[in-house]
Amino acid sequence: MPTATQISMVPVVVDNEKCIADKGCRTCIDVCPLDVLWIDEKTGKAHMRYDECWYCMPCEADCPTDAVTVNIPYLLR
Amino acid sequence: MTAYSDPILESIAQRLQDSDAGIRRVAVMDLVDSVDEEGVELLLQALSDEDEMVRLEAARVIDEFDPADMMDALVDALNAPDRNVRNAAAKALADLKDPEAAPALIAALKTDDAFVLASILRSLKQLCIKDARPYAIELLGHEDPGVRREAVGVLGYLQEEENLPQLKAVAKSDADAEVRRSAVGALVYASPEKVADTLISAVSDEHWQVRCEAIRSLGRLKVCEAKTALIAAIEDKRWQVQEKAAEAIGMVGAIEGIPALGSCIDNPISNLRKTAVAALGELAHEDGLPFIRRALDDNDPDVRKLARWALERTGA
Amino acid sequence: MTQLDDITVKDVDVLVIGGGTAGPMAAITAKEKDPSASVMLLEKANVKRSGAISMGMDGLNNAVIPGHATPEQYTKEITIANDGIVLQKGVMEYAERSFDMIQKLDNWGVYFQKDETGEYDVKKVHHLGTYVLPMPEGHNIKKILYRRLRRNRVQVENRYQAIRLMKDESGAVSGCIALGTRDAEVIVIRAKAVVLCTGAAGRIGLPASGYLYGTYENPTNCGDGHSMAYHVGAELSGLECYQINPLLKDYNGPACAYVTGPLGGYTANANGDRFIECDYWSGQMMMEFYNELQSGNGPVFLKLDHLAEETIQEIEDVLHTNERPSRGRFHDGRGNDYRTKMVEMHISEIGFCAGHSASGVWINEKGETTVPGLYGAGDMASIPHSYMLGAFVYGDICGANAVEFAKHRDLPTLDETFILREKQRILAPLKRSDGIPPNQFEYKLRRFVNDYLQPPKITKKMDIGLQRLKDMEQDIEFLYARDPHELLRANEAQHVYDCALMAAHASMYRQESRWGLYHHYVDYPQTNNDDWFCHVQLYKSEDNQMACKKRPIDPYVVELDEEEKTAYQKMRIQQVS
Repeated sequence: MPTATQISMVPVVVDNEKCIADKGCRTCIDVCPLDVLWIDEKTGKAHMRYDECWYCMPCEADCPTDAVTVNIPYLLR
Repeated sequence: MTAYSDPILESIAQRLQDSDAGIRRVAVMDLVDSVDEEGVELLLQALSDEDEMVRLEAARVIDEFDPADMMDALVDALNAPDRNVRNAAAKALADLKDPEAAPALIAALKTDDAFVLASILRSLKQLCIKDARPYAIELLGHEDPGVRREAVGVLGYLQEEENLPQLKAVAKSDADAEVRRSAVGALVYASPEKVADTLISAVSDEHWQVRCEAIRSLGRLKVCEAKTALIAAIEDKRWQVQEKAAEAIGMVGAIEGIPALGSCIDNPISNLRKTAVAALGELAHEDGLPFIRRALDDNDPDVRKLARWALERTGA
Repeated sequence: MTQLDDITVKDVDVLVIGGGTAGPMAAITAKEKDPSASVMLLEKANVKRSGAISMGMDGLNNAVIPGHATPEQYTKEITIANDGIVLQKGVMEYAERSFDMIQKLDNWGVYFQKDETGEYDVKKVHHLGTYVLPMPEGHNIKKILYRRLRRNRVQVENRYQAIRLMKDESGAVSGCIALGTRDAEVIVIRAKAVVLCTGAAGRIGLPASGYLYGTYENPTNCGDGHSMAYHVGAELSGLECYQINPLLKDYNGPACAYVTGPLGGYTANANGDRFIECDYWSGQMMMEFYNELQSGNGPVFLKLDHLAEETIQEIEDVLHTNERPSRGRFHDGRGNDYRTKMVEMHISEIGFCAGHSASGVWINEKGETTVPGLYGAGDMASIPHSYMLGAFVYGDICGANAVEFAKHRDLPTLDETFILREKQRILAPLKRSDGIPPNQFEYKLRRFVNDYLQPPKITKKMDIGLQRLKDMEQDIEFLYARDPHELLRANEAQHVYDCALMAAHASMYRQESRWGLYHHYVDYPQTNNDDWFCHVQLYKSEDNQMACKKRPIDPYVVELDEEEKTAYQKMRIQQVS
């Protein structure tokens, strides 16, 4: 059964300049109820890996450096 | 360095020694997950870190700890150089809801920082401590309206007759509308005759929210002498005030207000029509019947529903 | 800790599944009642920010506070709102404990709105009683619960999805099988008592936007508990009484009538007029909403544009910092301003939720399900209209009763064959090298739910829907996950599948219409009290089939007089227009 990988415009955006995941911070990753934020192995920073967002905001509200922005998913905007 | 039995604390302690402030900062954030009161020691260390962001992060986790475990530390923190630390400490002491925290909070009222002062007063308010009274009365004269507003709160929660003169004075003449509004709201703990005059004159306050609050208080206290003022308020230029006046006319049982209530039945604002017909129902007087009957055909279902209820109450 | 084959087995006295609202309270109470008991709180996400109140709550919808409402009055109101189909003892138990719980939360540091003298500032929203207590600063509630969990030394295990409950040979619950959502490790938690607090089943229907996670409920609440309860043999009740809620169109978040109502806002039709006749939040209210949407006066709007600037700022402050704070961002994107125009509303997809309607795992006034040792609380359990405060109250009840049950029991024995078989089933999607992705399976499933199962319910359509769902059963054998995260979704999708089947079966069993839109059955348009004044219980039959039966209504503890019943009937619109 063949499969394909498609691109998706994700709602959660992380500012790599501000993100301190490389210092050991995992706040946004910890608080996401849907577990869609992960460490990007290339940059060491947090990023949205799965487009499964409830736009509920703990990742943004709890980020100690204001690095996270939650946009409304495109399909709802 | 102390050795910790809890591996989380041990790891935090080590990272707090790191030369990189970012790493120290993240270590402080992890204090949230440690259940040990030993963590208090690390929190204190972080509260006096040389880096401002580390101190700020430490202030944010203050209220995660059981204040009973760190009373002394919190009291110290009320005098910390950082405003965020002082503020967080006041909030943590308030969450304790323990009268034993009061002396420390009162002692900390010496600060000049209005923001922190307001925060300490808000904490004292929750505790309902009589010792706070003289300080609150003094701070009614503070230049910052935020402080004055919280001072009113302290006195309002105390619900003591001896504080009425001060609260009445604030209700009448404070320069800030929100401070006046809170004082007017606080007066509901008094017996009606003690505060009627102040509340009635507040019905013509220049700010509509103060007028609403005054009318609400008059209704709750069922101040009969307020009838004339309440009926006059039905003509207010703000529908929100008119609505409160209609409600209060019902609550104080002012039959004389029926024509005024009747004049609201055709008002374009449905919230006002609704409240007016409910008040006619409260009064349950036959003079209200023509207006109630007219409201039976209102296009707003809430008005119709209340009209049916009012009709039933009026015995028709 | 023991090993079973290569599976880790953790032993506890009380296992609480779900760390949202009811769950933390259950765990805290269990520890408070017996500090020596081992209590584990298992959570699929992280208890710091999980469940329906992850970003706080803006008010209590059903506070029963002395001087404002009585437990009897509240019980009557809920009985009427549910067309009489209630376990009144259960509602009464909530109502009597409601005020104590408010004071407990207040002492813990939760801020409720008070007037200037420190008294609770309760607002009248409903016609009869006064139950709404705003919490403009309710955004810290999860933080407070977390603090209490730590202080009581509850063992918290985050990022485990509970997948199947187990029972011993006596038929009592014996724990659960769970899946690590980041490492795909299957573990067993053996427990003497289990409290299910898994929230609503909010992922049965598909939101109008088509976005799988744009649900009314937190989408982590996908019916794990409903499915687990069913498979372990517990009864579920009232599943035909769907949850359908009014919401902001497309944003799919609550419209918050309880926040805006006391401040003068209301739900209006296109003319800006009120149209809702029904008093209490109920299926009847949703029917009126639905009718208006379909009528020439539709669509429906949240009207705030008549309010003063100060009031609008207050509303924005509350709504944009609590519960669903991205609402402000949604409005900005659309150019919506409460000051200048009404905001379009719609109704939600279907779900099961006792917080707003009545559907869920059957519990009695002690929080007991029909399986010994298994308790249930919150949106998942069957006490109707319980909202957040009901979750706390029943969490408290279940925590106390579960720890007591555990005291009188030895560690149960485990059924190894069952565990090994389940492990294989749970991990199967990860073992495949290709197949059906969980999101495609779920999308299709939920689209069928929308096409065939949502009201108006029609037998012929539901027959087709059920057939489509049954056809999809064979697709489960082809679910394919590339990593632990996708495996989580594959297992969730199977729970959603069970819930969809349950919705269809329960709906077709109750051959009448009741609860307004929730069970508007076109083939049987009238309410039939002679045959259907009863609960409908759904359960797994001895031959492993989904079955339904009637359960009589327990005698009322608060009688409704005839006038109260008819006064309510007078206000109703009998059918869809």
